[in-house]
Amino acid sequence: MTVLDAGQIARATPRVLSTPGERARKRRTSSVLVMVAVLAFTALMLSPLIWSTMAATKETSIAFASPPQFTYQPTLAAFVNLWQATNFYRYLENTVIIAVATAALTLVVAAPAAYALSRRGGQWSAVILAGALLFRAVPGFALALPFYNMAKSLGIYDTMIAVIIAFVAVDQPFSIWLLRNFFAAVPVDLDESALIDGCSRFGAFRRVILPVVAPGLVTAGILSFLLAFQEYLIAVVLTDVNAKTVPVFLASQIGQTLPLLQQASAGVVLLAVPIVLLATIAQRFLVAGLTAGAVKG
Amino acid sequence: MRGRDFALMVTPAVLLMTVLLSVPLLYTIVWSFQHVSYGEGSTWVGLGNYSAALRDPVFRDSVLFTVVFTVARTILLLAVGYGLALLLNAVRRERSAFLGLMLVPFIVPSIIGAMAFSWLFDSNFGGLANYFLQKVIGHGYNWFTDPWANRAVLIGNVIWHYVPLAVLILLAALQGIPQEPMEAASLDGASWRQKQWHVVLPALRPMLRFLALISVMDGLRMFDQLIPLSPSAQTINNQSVMLYVYQRAFTDSQQNLGLGSAVNVLMLFTMIVLVIPLLRSTYREVKAS
Repeated sequence: MTVLDAGQIARATPRVLSTPGERARKRRTSSVLVMVAVLAFTALMLSPLIWSTMAATKETSIAFASPPQFTYQPTLAAFVNLWQATNFYRYLENTVIIAVATAALTLVVAAPAAYALSRRGGQWSAVILAGALLFRAVPGFALALPFYNMAKSLGIYDTMIAVIIAFVAVDQPFSIWLLRNFFAAVPVDLDESALIDGCSRFGAFRRVILPVVAPGLVTAGILSFLLAFQEYLIAVVLTDVNAKTVPVFLASQIGQTLPLLQQASAGVVLLAVPIVLLATIAQRFLVAGLTAGAVKG
Repeated sequence: MRGRDFALMVTPAVLLMTVLLSVPLLYTIVWSFQHVSYGEGSTWVGLGNYSAALRDPVFRDSVLFTVVFTVARTILLLAVGYGLALLLNAVRRERSAFLGLMLVPFIVPSIIGAMAFSWLFDSNFGGLANYFLQKVIGHGYNWFTDPWANRAVLIGNVIWHYVPLAVLILLAALQGIPQEPMEAASLDGASWRQKQWHVVLPALRPMLRFLALISVMDGLRMFDQLIPLSPSAQTINNQSVMLYVYQRAFTDSQQNLGLGSAVNVLMLFTMIVLVIPLLRSTYREVKAS
């Protein structure tokens, strides 16, 4: 910035002259207004989940009473009912196992590929990366219905294995893109000095590069974990009884009446809690991953 | 990196992509030319499924609804996301706490979020929205049977679900804007609106374009939200193309997989056309490196 002469400063001074005290007060009022607006919007964003939580902790008779009840004696009966009357805990267990396995397998397959793609350009890399991008654009039904057929003919329909394989396949292209950005940020000198020290390419990757991109791996892992928690279409097509996930179970309660509906609201709360906790604890990684997706690809 | 190491490292990923993504796509393409019914054989019908879909007024209505809805939600998402990002950018200390809370609607599974969202409106279950509307404007709406009221609920849900992502991305971009042009603009006496228009918006353009692409692609493929939020989608003309596929290929008595696959292929082509600019620039960039 260049040094300003007096004329420029005079022109830059606000037309309405105000004392420093006035200006500070103005700034304080506007920051209070901003705060109120942000608070109001955050409350609005959380209102569906707050309302579900309230519905789940009311007596069944007033859970969905009209006009709505705002003050009540909280009870956990709906949670107990959900646990006792349905197989919710099994669906939750399925969902967690599927999500963990999906995240782990996706990393195992995507990390080496992303590393290789970050270190070598050219035609082949271009084709693979463009292909990965293309697969992100495929409509879910174009995959889900054939998955159903393939799982049936392989005899793995309604098993967690089938769901995991499908999730890894769907999730992998995005993870490759995301991880490639993280690997590309690691200087090539690091690979070279490891190679000079006698490491093989795999040794350099495993012992030197992977530890450096650990935050990136956590980010990609969290995102594929969340994807497995969120995916509905593929899960509903591939499962029936044994491998059912929580979203599929809860969606099957749509259109039910009380008390099933209140149990479903308890289920919504139980599903949201671990996800929200994870997002709070790992907010830094989540933000990094979601933002990186926008910057590249 | 030597060719052999490169090949070894990418092979598992490429195999997985080929087998688990290309093969299903091939199935879909082949089915789209056949009359398929579950448990029976299939017969070749050429372009019959495509012409049947294009002649079906239900399909045409679903295309119209999907396209108009996608345009509306994309414009609204960018506007709301931009406004909120500016607002959050003005908050200093508590920003990351708010950001964390706001992310919740985006990370809760969309079908579950839509379910919780529907409970705000359903008059059988408290009818919170109508309760407040009753007090303010004196009457409520039939959120699930009145087409326009239902569209308002749907667009509200979509914005609710996607706006956290928009805010997150735009906020990161806002913080990346260098201070000099902003200060220079202030010194030149630019108004707030002029600064937004000439400095901030151009800097955010790549992010806005990315968000628009995501919103358009997800909008055209809308499905999850409609299940809880629009139970009578077909009768009130709020059926998306993907819901049409679901109805025809999965739940109807006819279980017309061929017809559904033909629509899937049309959708796939639309998606490819949308990502072609991105594909081309990626391909060039990687090939040159």
